Amino acid sequence: MSDDRMYDLEFGIEFLDDSVVVAIGGELDLLTAAVVAGALNATVDPRHRDLIVDVGGVSFIDATGVDAFASVVQHLQPLGGTCTVRSASQLVRRVFDITDMSALVAFVEAEPSTPHGGGAHDDVPQVAGDGDQVDLAASGSGALVRSSTGVVDAALGLVTAVAASTVENADGVSVTLERHGRLMTVAASDDAVKEMDGHQYDTGEGPCLSAKAEGRWFYIESLEDEDRWPKFVPLALEQGIHSILSSPLMTKDRPQGALNIYSSKEHAFSTRDQELAALFSAQASEILTTAGPEETDDEVRQRFTSALTARQVIHQAQGVIMERNGLTAEDVAGALHRAARKAGVTVRVHAAEVVASVDRDRGAEEHR
Amino acid sequence: MGEVLDPLEEARRALEMSVADLWWRYFTVGGMASELEIEAILFGALVPSPPERDLLAVALNERFSELGRDHPIPYSDDPQDL
Repeated sequence: MSDDRMYDLEFGIEFLDDSVVVAIGGELDLLTAAVVAGALNATVDPRHRDLIVDVGGVSFIDATGVDAFASVVQHLQPLGGTCTVRSASQLVRRVFDITDMSALVAFVEAEPSTPHGGGAHDDVPQVAGDGDQVDLAASGSGALVRSSTGVVDAALGLVTAVAASTVENADGVSVTLERHGRLMTVAASDDAVKEMDGHQYDTGEGPCLSAKAEGRWFYIESLEDEDRWPKFVPLALEQGIHSILSSPLMTKDRPQGALNIYSSKEHAFSTRDQELAALFSAQASEILTTAGPEETDDEVRQRFTSALTARQVIHQAQGVIMERNGLTAEDVAGALHRAARKAGVTVRVHAAEVVASVDRDRGAEEHR
Repeated sequence: MGEVLDPLEEARRALEMSVADLWWRYFTVGGMASELEIEAILFGALVPSPPERDLLAVALNERFSELGRDHPIPYSDDPQDL
């Protein structure tokens, strides 16, 4: 699993009375900074305006990674909030110093093993991880969300966790996205919510699908009185769900998915909750926009594999041409480029033809 | 205004290709330099070896080909007097 991971980024989150602790593990660089910024900004709200970012698990950071903090400090200032960086390594400290960011945040040492609230941490569920995962719990913060499927999913997981704990009557929150033409739940606060999403995909109907299809909100105040989605609604009621709020996730005006909040109460969501839902879906949308809506981790991986295959073929073809034409390594690249141009095809296609011709020759020899 | 662009950079702009896209094409045809180094080459901060430069030329020329234009970027071993 961990070998084909393109990104290395993990989040943990924990809410305290008026502050929120976000633990980050992995690499903070150009590739991940914007998504980290989106995720950090999503955790800031008027109730939790003091943000503590535990960077004990950060293995690499550069100036672009520090930009994530600059962005969240800007968001915090109007709220009168603060940003504290915890467990910073020497590397992290230095990058903050070099980029003149040190004055905008406070630094604190790693927490001793008995943190706030007297052992409350022991109750925080831990998701078992791969051996090479950064142990966020050890860095002083309970990890509620942990994702290794990619930076986008990790960030969306964080938004989901924040929404679940901020929206008053929320019993579960999930994010649905379309990937490879299929709807899937990429982040969920618990398994029951995943199942609810699954019922919608299976029956092909429900507020989440409608929000995604129409690019607008759906607030079902009481499922008992609901007559749209006749196949899905009974399944939801069976699981004790009575209100659902689904908000579309938009990138460039195109709906990509939905943020779904489920509650066991009727008329669960106040105007404030609806505003919060709008805020969270806007933040999730921002994360998707930043990450590029077209490219999922899978697609990046495919592109990489395709490029590596092409390189391999070109390398083989160069070997063949060197042997056939007695060329040196310096001249062979140029010869291949010229031959491809003459044949009116790309270097990749021509190289594949050269390699194939060798296989044909070999086959002919074996048949002799 | 009046700035002299590297022909590679000029071509990249004409093709409206991002540095990232150019890098992928360059990497696909066998290039070894990072995207940052490519950017430095385009902006004249790094001077590539002739083979490296040719790989960038291939990456750009193949895009020109897709658009129906023959290879407008010269290669290092093209005859100089043609």
